Amino acid sequence: MKKKVLSVLLASAMVASVLAGCGSSAADTAAPAADAAAEEAAPAEEAAPAEEAAPAEEAATEAAVDTAAADSAAPAADASGSTYALVTKSAGNPFMERMASGFQEAVEAQGGTVVIQNPEAATPDAQISVIQSLISQGVSSIAVDGNDANALTAVLTEAKDAGIKILTLDSDVAPDTRTVYCNQAGVQQIGETLMEAVYDLTGGEGDWAILSATSQATNQNAWIDAMKKLMESDSKYAKLNLVEVAYGDDEPQKSTDQTQALLQNYPDLKVICAPTTVGIAAAAKVLQDQKSTVKLTGLGLPSEMAEYIGDDDAHSCPYMYLWNPIDLGRLAGYTSIALVDGTITGAAGDKFTAGDLGDYTIEEIDGSTQIILGPPFKFDPSNIDEWKSVY
Amino acid sequence: MAGKSGREISAVPEGGIKSKLLSWEGALVLILIGVNILGVAISPNYNVNNVLREMPRYLAEIFMMFGMGYILVLGDIDISVGALVCLAGTVTVLSSNAGAPFIVAVIICLGVGLLGGMLNGFIATRFTELPTMIVTLGTQIIFRGIAEVLFETWGNGGGTASMADTKGLMLLAKKLGPFPIAFFCVIIVGVIMIVVLAKTTFGRKLYAIGSNKTAAYYAGIKVERIRFICYSLLGFLSGLCALFLLTATFGSNTTTGQGFEMEVIAMCVFGGIATTGGKGNLTGAFIAAFIIVCLRIALGQRNINTQVILVIIGLMLIISVLVPSISSAITARKKRA
Repeated sequence: MKKKVLSVLLASAMVASVLAGCGSSAADTAAPAADAAAEEAAPAEEAAPAEEAAPAEEAATEAAVDTAAADSAAPAADASGSTYALVTKSAGNPFMERMASGFQEAVEAQGGTVVIQNPEAATPDAQISVIQSLISQGVSSIAVDGNDANALTAVLTEAKDAGIKILTLDSDVAPDTRTVYCNQAGVQQIGETLMEAVYDLTGGEGDWAILSATSQATNQNAWIDAMKKLMESDSKYAKLNLVEVAYGDDEPQKSTDQTQALLQNYPDLKVICAPTTVGIAAAAKVLQDQKSTVKLTGLGLPSEMAEYIGDDDAHSCPYMYLWNPIDLGRLAGYTSIALVDGTITGAAGDKFTAGDLGDYTIEEIDGSTQIILGPPFKFDPSNIDEWKSVY
Repeated sequence: MAGKSGREISAVPEGGIKSKLLSWEGALVLILIGVNILGVAISPNYNVNNVLREMPRYLAEIFMMFGMGYILVLGDIDISVGALVCLAGTVTVLSSNAGAPFIVAVIICLGVGLLGGMLNGFIATRFTELPTMIVTLGTQIIFRGIAEVLFETWGNGGGTASMADTKGLMLLAKKLGPFPIAFFCVIIVGVIMIVVLAKTTFGRKLYAIGSNKTAAYYAGIKVERIRFICYSLLGFLSGLCALFLLTATFGSNTTTGQGFEMEVIAMCVFGGIATTGGKGNLTGAFIAAFIIVCLRIALGQRNINTQVILVIIGLMLIISVLVPSISSAITARKKRA
């Protein structure tokens, strides 16, 4: 009999250890009650106590949400009562964290509840699980930074059918599965800006390479395509030779390896262009550590790139570009609210005000509806010091 | 007796209700109930409909878990199956987009899985001096590499492809009542695999090989042939996994199936199958799989960080492996006292 007790104890210990992990907000108060219920139920093998525990927990959650809403409802009340979700590409990416903070700030200022989900890996599979969970929770809107243009179609259609407003930011998905895309900058604008930077740094001729994120990253592929088209169409770039597009998969180690491989394989390489924040930081370190003459440009976070930006030979990156991820997150937050309260429907020509970001109009670009944040911003030795502490 | 119960909780004589309750499988059932109570307690949205709706992506993995269980009972391991899912899914999508009717695409999907499994089996049984971990590490890289080449050659570039004709997949994604078709398929495949392993001579041979390969060989068991069959079977089930994964994603990309192999190995080990071979059964693994799936869904609905969920599952896995040591230590102390 003692042994039986032992096994039950072990089982409930595991359940309890699981409960110990639920440290977020309202779960704290409900955990002891649920724990007790689990212990009661385990020997009896009945689900009855669970049903008793459920309403108690629901009440606790509701109470917590109510107080949270009451606390932050002061500035404006038009978004309260709704939950706005943001699904990032993956955890541990500084760009995503800044974007999420902007989203949170914008929505909470309007009194809305925010759910931010970072999938366990930068794959569409991981995003599908997270979005399924958000459908169960019955959120009002989901803003997605897509890891794949097509793989999310099924789950986003399901979400749409459940009455949830879908929008995308940073990386788009198939246009008919979402209402509007918050674009950080027009594809053409970025392609032209980066191509001009490469032209400037190479002196107009020679070998250059691209270090990208994953081979299926939607936005990186669009920018690279735009750059390739510019090279073909504009005779100004005729003497530039793109030797390789390498993929660092947005992992620091793999990006480092790919940079070293580029240096080894192409001794005449003059410039590496990395249109991804993870790739450019890894490449900057490699080039600076090896005192390479190869110059770097692309899209990077000022805080991560500050020590590599400089005009002299001791620095690997003369200048680079980026938009403000915090502003992108805020724009997505304001757009979510506008979609949920009906200010906009996602049709081209719809206008709304995104807080202090100003007025935006939904535009029709390449057959899909987009909101463009603004042109990319140049970071060089003259302004990097003031920006590195911002994001 | 070999492989009756995965993990001994305490030294109770075999047979009788008492031993059943105290077996690892009994404990797993209690944990499963506990996890569901937890789910209802922490999330107001944790109910049958929502759980079943969120389940299909995980159900696909469970197909593969049965095959992996056989391989682990043999004392082997196969870490190539995640990449095989990617390859099978990719070939299916590309062939369907090239104009193959859905039924042909399904056969291609299962066929690629089977062929990949047979390749693993062939190398593992022909070159027995190679550790199977290394063999399948090699094929893992090969499978994903082929998929990436296929994307470049026949895809629209960019390492991703979605199925143009989704009618067939929609049919497979249908639900009978609240239950997705995949759920019934998992149960049917599961019951067959469990019965074959537990009740047939074929199953018993697996335990014999897993316990002592040399002894099994001298007892007249065709060791390499059985290993080949098991690898092929796992490959086929990976194809099935790819097919049902397609019903959730409607497409394939270079990261499809990433990490699946480790997730199914974790389910098996949590379910009491020893990676050293000859121990454990699929009933335990089956229950363990649902524990992990329900836990992920429950914690996910509570918006607990996915990384924290992984930590919790990792901890559960380690604790579960330590259970026999803990219980025998307690028994030993009692005897001394």
